[in-house]
This record gives sequence, C-alpha cells and structure tokens, in this order.
Amino acid sequence: MSMSTTKLNAENHLLLDQPLLRLPHELLRKNFKTAQRYFEREQKELKDGIHNVAKDALAGASPEDSLASLDSMINRMQGFKRKLEGLHDEEKTLHEHSRKRIAHLQDLYSIPSLVDESYDKWSRTRLDRLLVDFLLRSGYGNSARQLAEEKGIQDLVDVDVFIQCSRIEASLRNRNVSECLAWCGENKSSLKKINSTLEFELRMQQFIELVRDHRHREATAYSKKFLAPQGDKHLDDIMKAAALLAFMPTTKCQPYKDMYSSKRWEFLATTFVNTHHTLYGLPSRPLLHIALSAGLSALKTPSCHSSIATSSNASTTTSLCPICSTELNDLARNVPYAHHVRSSVDPDPVVLPNNRIHGREKLEEFAVKLGLPAGRIRDPTTGDEWDNTTLRKVFIM
Amino acid sequence: MESIEKEYERLRKKSNLSKSISDVDKCIQLLQNARQAIANDPSSARVSIAKLQQTVPAALEKIKDDEKEIYSGLSRYGRALDKTFKATTTYSTNDYDALSSQSDLIKRAIAMHLIREGQFAAASTFREEAGPIDIPPHLTTEFVEMYEILNAMRIHRNLGPAIAWARSKSTELDHRGSNLEFDLCRLQFVWLFLEQDGQMRAFHYARKELKQFQEKHLDEIEKLLGAFAFQTRLKSSPYAPLFADPEKCFNDVANAFTKEFCSLLGLSAESPLYIAATAGAIALPTLMKMAAIMKDKKTGWSTVNELPAEIALPPGYQFHSIFVCPVSKDQTTESNPPMMLPCGHVIAQESLQRLAKGSAVTIKCPYCPKESSLAQAIRVVI
Repeated sequence: MSMSTTKLNAENHLLLDQPLLRLPHELLRKNFKTAQRYFEREQKELKDGIHNVAKDALAGASPEDSLASLDSMINRMQGFKRKLEGLHDEEKTLHEHSRKRIAHLQDLYSIPSLVDESYDKWSRTRLDRLLVDFLLRSGYGNSARQLAEEKGIQDLVDVDVFIQCSRIEASLRNRNVSECLAWCGENKSSLKKINSTLEFELRMQQFIELVRDHRHREATAYSKKFLAPQGDKHLDDIMKAAALLAFMPTTKCQPYKDMYSSKRWEFLATTFVNTHHTLYGLPSRPLLHIALSAGLSALKTPSCHSSIATSSNASTTTSLCPICSTELNDLARNVPYAHHVRSSVDPDPVVLPNNRIHGREKLEEFAVKLGLPAGRIRDPTTGDEWDNTTLRKVFIM
Repeated sequence: MESIEKEYERLRKKSNLSKSISDVDKCIQLLQNARQAIANDPSSARVSIAKLQQTVPAALEKIKDDEKEIYSGLSRYGRALDKTFKATTTYSTNDYDALSSQSDLIKRAIAMHLIREGQFAAASTFREEAGPIDIPPHLTTEFVEMYEILNAMRIHRNLGPAIAWARSKSTELDHRGSNLEFDLCRLQFVWLFLEQDGQMRAFHYARKELKQFQEKHLDEIEKLLGAFAFQTRLKSSPYAPLFADPEKCFNDVANAFTKEFCSLLGLSAESPLYIAATAGAIALPTLMKMAAIMKDKKTGWSTVNELPAEIALPPGYQFHSIFVCPVSKDQTTESNPPMMLPCGHVIAQESLQRLAKGSAVTIKCPYCPKESSLAQAIRVVI
C-alpha cells in the first residue's frame, strides 16, 4: 500500500488559518491607535484649557468666564467619551470574532483523527471559509455574504474588510485618489512601519493629473507641499516629476510617457490591494489557491489525464477520482502529480485478455452484483465479458 | 493554542477600553464638580480652578495607564500569535501557483460545488456576479431533483421518489452493477413492516414489488419474508438484524443513492473541491517543509511533473491504482507505460529497454529466472 495516514497534527494543520486570528488582531490595534490619537489630542486640549482658565482667573476674569470655559471643556470631554464608547463597541465585536475563531481552531485539537466524522465537518466549514475568502477577493461581495449567511459563518469571515478594500480599489480604477488617501491617513503609522510608498505614489498621481490639465502653477505648489518633504526617500522620482512639466501628455519620451499612461491607475490599484493585505496579515493569494494547488498535486496521478480510460467511474466498485471529475480536471492539468515510492493496486491482481489489470476479488464482487452466471467476469471499464479461466496472475512488486 | 487562549482572555477582560471610558468619566466629574462649586459660590472660582490644576493631570495620567494596559495586552496577544504560527509565513509568498491564471476554471469548480451541495441561492447569486460560467447545462435542475428525492427520503421517510428514479434509470444502474433499486425496495418493506400494524401492508408490498427481483435476490427476499413467522417476537428471532437499525439503513441508502445519482452525471459522489481542499490542507505542512529544505540547499526538484516527496493522505483518498516500477522506481505514465513479461512480472517500458540493451535476443526477468524476448512483453493497463 502507498503511504497513508489518519494522524491529525492540529498545530501543523492550521497553516491556512493564520489570517483568521491575525486580521481581528490588526483591526484591534488599529482601533486602539485611533483611541490613542483621540486621547493625545484631548489631553493636550484639556491641559491647555485648565492652564488658561487658571491664568485668566488670576488675571481677574469673571467667574462667568470661568464657567463658560469649563462648560466648553466638559463638552469636549463628553464628545471624547462618546467616541471612545463607539470604539469600545467595535472592540467588543472584534473580541467576539476572535473568541469564536479561537474556539473554531480549538475544535480541531479535540478531533481524534483525519477519518473521524468531526474532522469532515470541520473541514467543510474550512472550505466554506476559503470560498468566502475567494469570493471576497474576486469582488463578489453579494455571493460571499450570502454563502456566509447560509452557512452561519459570518463571524469566521471578514466581509466588511474586503468590501471596503474592493471599494477603494474600484475608486482608484475610476481615477479617484481621495478615498485611498483617506485610508492612508487612517493607517499612517502602520504604513510607515512597513515602508510603504503607497501615499507617495498617490500624491505623484495627483501631481501628474494637474500637469495633464496644464495647471502647472498648482502642480508646482502641490509638489512643494506633498512631494518635496519625501525628498530623502524619493529624490529620483521627484526630479522626474519636475521634468514632467516640460513634456506634453502626448510625449513618446520615456519615462514621461509611462507617467502619463492610464496604466498607472492599474498600478495604483494593485499597489493598494497588496499594501492593504500586507498591513492586515492577509496572504497575497486567495487561500483557496494555496489549498487547491497543494491538494490537486497530492491527489493527481499520471492516469488522471491519460487518454486510456482507467476503471474510475464505470462501476459501483470504485468512486470517481476528484481530479478526473469535470470540476477539476482541466484545472489540474498543469500541476505536478503526487510522488509515490511504492505501487498500490487491488489485492491479488490478475490480467484480463484485454491486458487490463484488476484485483480478482473486485472482479468477482462485481460479477455477483451484476448477477452474471457463475464463472463469468466483466471488465468494469470496458464492459467486455470473459470466462474467469482466462484470467492470469500478474506480479506487481 | 493555549497561550493564544490565555492571552486572549487577558485581552478581553483587562485590556479593553471600558476602563478608559470610566476614567474619562471621572475626569468629566472633576470638571463638573468644579463647575458646580463655582456656580454655587462664584467667590470660590480661583480655589476650585487651582484644585483642578492638581486633579485633572492626575486623572489624565490614569487614562494613560489604562492605555498602556491595552497596548501591552495587544502586544502579548500578538506575540502569542507569532509563536503559534511562526513557521507559516513563507507559503503565501512562493510562486508555485498554477492556479492564478485559471480563474475561469476555478469559478466553474466553485459554481458546480455550490450547486451539488444544494446551495442553489448562493450559486445563482454567484453566477449573476461572476458573469458567464461554463457549467454543464441542466446541472442545477438535476441537483434540485436530487435534493428533492433526498429530502423526501431523509425528512419524510418517503422512498417513493427515489424508487421511481431508480426504476427510470434501471438499465444504467444495472450496467454499473448497482442494486440500488432493490436496496430501496427492501428498505421500503422493512419500514412498512416496522410500522404500527404495518405487517399486512408490508406483505402486500412484498407480493407486488419484490417479485421482480426474484431472479437476482431470491435469498434476501426469502429472509425478509421469513420475518412474518416471527412478527410477534421479532427482536429475538434470527431475522432481527434485518430490522434492527432502520435509521442507519436510511442513511446508507441515501448515500448510495447520492453516489449513483452523481455517477450517472459523470460526477464523483463527494464534491471534488471539498476533497481537493482537504487533501491540500493535509499536504501543506509536508509541501512547506520541502520548500524550505529546497530553498536551504538551493536545489530545485528534477522533474517538474512530479512532487519531490511523498504525501501521506488518509485511506480513501486514493482513487487510482498506482504502479511504481520496481527497477527504476518511476511511476509509469503514458509515455513510459507498464509492460508485463511472459512470467507475469511488470516493469516500466524504459526499464525494459535498458534491460534489452546489449543482448538483443533475450531479456532475463529481474525478478525470476525466466528469459524472454522484447517482443513478448505486453503493454498492460493498471
């Protein structure tokens, strides 16, 4: 027999599931950073406020003035509190997602083996998750949402995150940078940490559009404001941008032709999606691709795309190979097949007069099911019938 | 996973914004108290404000401490994630991906999966969103029928639709060696027999419907009818096992029905997408280990057509016979097929040709003393 296993190593098995916990964690961090930003601002405001009101009081301001100042401080703080409460609600949702996801992964640890029924169930949920992930990445938000709802896995998938991502991606394809710039603003510190050039590229595009419109004066002002501060990192690009002023949008001269090209929007959209996924710890490819390319190879045999039919689906004694099935056959055409070091055939192999090899027991079992007269056998693949005296033993080492 | 759970609990209980909110509230309270004091007694304004200069910074300091607690909780949880998933960052970046360019085929696989799993609503939304997908015509209609029959069987214990279907496909089913129709009718008999006062109906059913199976299944029919002799004390009779677990019978027959139904459509009984994704998840750790080793040693694998290491899958994940030539250790393929020598030993064609080199007349079998000629070797299909 070829190598087979029923052992489930949960730790290793969770390779595909890292983003499940990473994403809510990243969102929690982002949520917290927003809270922190608010706090920095409010703490300064309040300290200054108290300081000023004290100073004014000493300088002889009326109690009414003090009261008015205090009222405005109270108002501000109440606004701050409301914002925090909003963030706290978001935090609770994210904690709840994390809890459900940890429990889902934890379930795997209590499954005794790969052949246990509970593993089957777990693996089906995993497939549903991978499908939703794929649908979201492909921009099929409605399908994704519907499947998640039908399967009751809304807490295990991140529909909203991907929908926001698709929306910004689409806005870039529609030649609009404002949404994406706002996103960059929200994630400023994380983007800095991964040395992202996304914001610079967006600013550059804005500049190019101004030049394209012959608004050179505005373009120059824009570049002073948004490009020049990045001089230490992007000096080359900034020089190119400056030179762009001398070229018409119709130029054939490189690199200015490319800078004017509409393909640059495509580039921005892809850069945004990649940056987005990196930031949230999401793999660049759909998880379904990763699982499927591994799975197709692990299952594929040289017979799966052979022109000679093998006994895969002609009788009840065997079940159809998933790689040979319509769904996957073409898809698996270009993946490598599995490596085997030992043969694996039905016990007691015999060769039929048509040179096809089957297990003797299987043939006999099939003959009974067919109700053939005693001593007759039928090739399950081709349907030819013979006397069982024509069978010859073969040796598969 | 344990450290993740532990850090998560800490995060949820301690490192959340609720404490910040209550400390902000305290801060507001300080301001309001001062306001109240000044409103009540305007002459106390300076004193109250001076007090605020002490108390507010202290209150703000507390909010800052609350934030530190959240920050540390988040970092600790992050580190727990890093530790558990440490080995797993590489796979997504590798370029071994034959699928990115095949999105139409993936979409087809998904659409067919949703249909065969009975997710008809999601399937139709998907087809609206994803545009034209090339799936076999009538596939949805077929599976709608399949689920109707299955639901009748599973939920309403009504075997009628299934029997009618099996009867309409009896030629094809016979050809496959399937006894589905008989299995369904037998279960119908058992189900009737077990019903309150159902024996009479079971008897009539047997006379009317089981007769046609006499030729092939006489033994089993006799056993079923033998139960009538013991109808008052069936449980202690030799026929008890036939009637013992009708729930399981329904389940088995439903599975057999699904398998036959899909087979006649040329599809496997289990969703191929499910099998492949599951096999993939099982295979991934091995594949990643391999990728890491090859990256370390800066080697590729010699045959692009074949994975570099064996992957262990559960039994039931093997669908074809595998033949590995005992001489060359290669799997046989269409261009290097298995050849049988007159003695019955099988080796790969290339190995055979290598054996024939030198002596054009006879080849000695590598596994027995028998000699033969190249022309006597027969190509076999395994």
